[in-house]
Amino acid sequence: MSLWVDQYRPRSLDELQYHRGLSERLRSLAASSDFPHMLFYGPSGAGKKTRISCTLRQLFGPGVEKLKIDQRVFLTPSKRKMEVNIVQSNFHIEITPSEAGNYDRLIIQEILKEIAQTQQVDLNAKQRFKVVIINEADSLSRDAQAALRRTMEKYMSNMRIILCANSTSKLIAPIKSRCLLIRVAAPSPEEMTNVLGYVAKRAGFDLPSEAADEIVNDSGGNLRKAILVLEALKMQSPDLSGELSIAKPDWEVYCHKVADLIVSEQSPAQVMVVRAKLYELLSHCIPPTVILKTVAERVVQKVDENIRADVMHWAAFYEVRMRVGNKKIFHLEAWVVKVMSIYKHFFYDIDMSAFD
Amino acid sequence: MPPKSSQAQVPKKASTKPSKVTNVVKLGSQPQTSSAAKKRFDPLTAFRNTPPSSQNSVEKPQEKVKPPVTSTSASKKGKGKGKEKATGRSFLRPTADQLWVDLYEPTTEAELAVHIRKVEDVRHWLIEAFEGGPTGKLRKYRRILALTGPAGTGKTSTLQVLSRELGFEIVEWRNAIGESSSAAAARPWDESSQDYHALRDYDDSESLFAKFSTFFNRAARGQNLSFCSSSSTQKPPSASSSTHSPPLKKRQIVLLEDLPNVLHQKTQSSFHDLLRAFVESPINPDVNAPAVPVVIIISDTGLRGEARDERIASGFGAGRDSEQIVDVRSVIPRELLQGPYVTQILFNPIASTLMRKALTALIQTHSKQHSDDDTFFKPSKQVLDMVVESANGDIRSAIMGLQFACVVEAPRGKAKLSPGNGAGKGDFVVEAVTRREQSLALFHLIGKVLYNKRKGDIPSSSAKAKDIQKDKELDAQLIDPPGLPEYLAEHERRASRVDIDTIYADSPIDSSLFSLYIHQNYPQFCNEVEEVEGVADWLSWIDSSGGEAWYQANPHQFHLLTLGTIHSLPSPVVRRSQKTYKPEFFDVLQKEKDARDAVRATREWVVAEDMRLNPEARRVCAWGANEVVLELGTILKLRDRGLGPVSVAGSTPTTSPPNQTPTISASPANSTNAPVTARLSRPPRAHRLFTTHLFTKHSSGSPGAAQVNERDAVDLDEGNNDEDDERGCTGAGGGYSLEGEDAEGGWLEGDDIEDFD
Repeated sequence: MSLWVDQYRPRSLDELQYHRGLSERLRSLAASSDFPHMLFYGPSGAGKKTRISCTLRQLFGPGVEKLKIDQRVFLTPSKRKMEVNIVQSNFHIEITPSEAGNYDRLIIQEILKEIAQTQQVDLNAKQRFKVVIINEADSLSRDAQAALRRTMEKYMSNMRIILCANSTSKLIAPIKSRCLLIRVAAPSPEEMTNVLGYVAKRAGFDLPSEAADEIVNDSGGNLRKAILVLEALKMQSPDLSGELSIAKPDWEVYCHKVADLIVSEQSPAQVMVVRAKLYELLSHCIPPTVILKTVAERVVQKVDENIRADVMHWAAFYEVRMRVGNKKIFHLEAWVVKVMSIYKHFFYDIDMSAFD
Repeated sequence: MPPKSSQAQVPKKASTKPSKVTNVVKLGSQPQTSSAAKKRFDPLTAFRNTPPSSQNSVEKPQEKVKPPVTSTSASKKGKGKGKEKATGRSFLRPTADQLWVDLYEPTTEAELAVHIRKVEDVRHWLIEAFEGGPTGKLRKYRRILALTGPAGTGKTSTLQVLSRELGFEIVEWRNAIGESSSAAAARPWDESSQDYHALRDYDDSESLFAKFSTFFNRAARGQNLSFCSSSSTQKPPSASSSTHSPPLKKRQIVLLEDLPNVLHQKTQSSFHDLLRAFVESPINPDVNAPAVPVVIIISDTGLRGEARDERIASGFGAGRDSEQIVDVRSVIPRELLQGPYVTQILFNPIASTLMRKALTALIQTHSKQHSDDDTFFKPSKQVLDMVVESANGDIRSAIMGLQFACVVEAPRGKAKLSPGNGAGKGDFVVEAVTRREQSLALFHLIGKVLYNKRKGDIPSSSAKAKDIQKDKELDAQLIDPPGLPEYLAEHERRASRVDIDTIYADSPIDSSLFSLYIHQNYPQFCNEVEEVEGVADWLSWIDSSGGEAWYQANPHQFHLLTLGTIHSLPSPVVRRSQKTYKPEFFDVLQKEKDARDAVRATREWVVAEDMRLNPEARRVCAWGANEVVLELGTILKLRDRGLGPVSVAGSTPTTSPPNQTPTISASPANSTNAPVTARLSRPPRAHRLFTTHLFTKHSSGSPGAAQVNERDAVDLDEGNNDEDDERGCTGAGGGYSLEGEDAEGGWLEGDDIEDFD
């Protein structure tokens, strides 16, 4: 049983149910002779990848859906082997370089060189170029991004690059200027309700409107999440009527508990307790940025509004450091302690000027 | 400086020619000593006076006879002569040139500086290996003994002493085996040059290992090793056994100290295979037949590689390359190490009392044998103390230092007459030469920083008078920092007793690892959140300073971190018997790596499911790792419980799409789903690694982390299961005291090593 998200995913630009203007533009781009490098960006679950694959289909026809998954082994400079999964068809190749950690530059270079130096041999191909899709482009290291910028110009005749990112702010300017930026915004609640209704219809049941509203509210513009929640709810209570309780994922509940810990007590011992929790979250592969964001949002709800701005300010501050640094826990903890300190001082009504 | 010394040298030479210099070289009763001494020492002093002109001036007085000779040839000649003399002398007195370490190697257990208990452990093991313990069955499990510990803790000596005592023969492997002269002749290199050996070893490393495995297999089966003499004529591999006659019945052990290059991946795996095969090979049940246990000696090496650590910290994808160092884990495969066939005995650094005893005995023996030798001066007690202290538990280094001390002591014959300056320049030289690097134990390093001692701290009640005195002396040297202006008053601190340059120089770990240790432990040393905040911010800043690449890293991390930490910590630190823990960081990293593998597996499962069930609609795989982690959890759990979207007994009229078939009702029990699994496959079980979060309330502190022991070397390994067993040994009388109960006061006051005797 594949997931509904996968099963009912639109496959062509026509099937996309929202952002029709954008779909139109992509269609005409694909038809024109000069298809540019592109950068799709937008929040998670807005349909970036779906849109990319629809565009590919528009470009190359159904052949692009004949995929194979390769496991490629790269040798790092320190002679360690690294396995990276690569999804490819005859017309495109898809990589997620962030899987390779610090060696993403190496992988980008290797793969791009390989693609760029081989011409399209299929005479029936609609286009003379191949497409390289780079997922999670915003987690590329600076090195890798720098390596990309030269390649993008040099091999323009053989290859187009499509980057997919949540935000453009982590990409260097030269890359942004070489791409056509395409923003895929999160769907509006009405659009989401439509899509959910469509999915429900395909799956063979009617979705009560209250349930749809509930799900849409919970998902915060993330369509994938909404559909997954729908599927989960359907598994739990088949008729989808009455009180619906959308269970939050474990990690989110956990993050909220961490926030409660921070607010409940401020002491060195409590720092150790919170640290153990943070370690627990990290060891479950929850991205540190997500941890910081979730905990911070929860803390902000619980503290006085006078210090909310400070809490968020420091969250942003340490998030930047976390990106630069290696040891995520240091920065998470530094933020936790900072918040504890701010909270404590506010509580005891001590002059706050020192913390600005 | 060079010109100055050259000037000073000339008159001194002239005046002290007759007698004083003699002492330096210990030439004893030789008639032409003075000239020989000159010849020997001139090249040295000549080197110091680099300009050739000054060299000339120095040489002149003695080379009076042959004025036309150029300075270079003259010095060469001098050297040659010196050598001649040296060989002649060594002929006369064979011991003079030998190192005391070799000369006074312990032959009985009484002479051994190793703690009795350790020796007993090893002896016990050996006896069991030979005789099989009370039931005779233990022999099967006494196949490999690994002796580990820092260098110079008497691992090899213990074995040799026991070999004498128990009467077994040590068959030792040397990598230099099979060095045939024919191969050497084919090469243009000088045989004796170091490069030559390195190159050659590199060339036929494979065949070298083949030789090793032949040796090992035959030796381990107790076969006669005479075949070796055919392959290498000059150097039989069993060098230490060459004096014994090799009768078959004699007990033997195989000693592997000079290991094959286990850092080389291929060599390592074949070495591991060899060991496994050895362990699995059946043992001859006949008690009289010689069992051949294998003893592997591994010296711990400290590590301090910045680049390596960067790679560790670089994140999930990167595994830790622990292959960088030779330690017991890289030599012996993990499953063997934890299995019953391998016993590991850890040698501690030698306790100072034991070492002092051994050194005193050594000096007595020496002076007895050399009573006629007027060049030997018994070193003073201070010198002995210093040697013991600076050796840091390494007896080899201590004996070397002692021998050296006795040599440099000699010219201070004058100082003996005027006993005012006991700790003079000579001591300083001895200290400078003998002090081993890495002398600060990790335990002490962390403690030094975290206890944040400052000038004028009130000594703790349990402090010893000696330590209080020491602190006072230190305080006298510390200069108070100038006062800060009003608006910076909160940064006012007393002068710190921590000398950062020294601890940086002595630190056994690099700054990145150091920061992890500090991070793990600092909150216990703080009283208020503000102090925690200070340290945490420093840690965060230091981690993020510098660039992404290793060469952009901030070179001042260590200093900044230390300064920042001691600035932020309270002063004085309140003592509540804090314990130092090892960083949990690596455990977490390991768990994260496992979870990431699980994420990958789950992702592949999702994609594969999609492809399997919708074969006509293959598409770009839309699942990133983060999406799987953050959004898929609920679905995965429901799937685990056996719930599928259409699997619920139909209350809703399901007009299923063609590729879905309604399945029979799903009950929570897994077994009922078995026939359906073709349709409804389960996600990989491992997904619990990232979907299940257990929020447990536990007491403060870090339950997962292992404590740092005083004797701990830098240990990055996650599985420290041996910790507790080892503690039993050390607690009962090892060289070091345990941190536990006596942590308060006693454990940081001084660097001297306590013992239980």
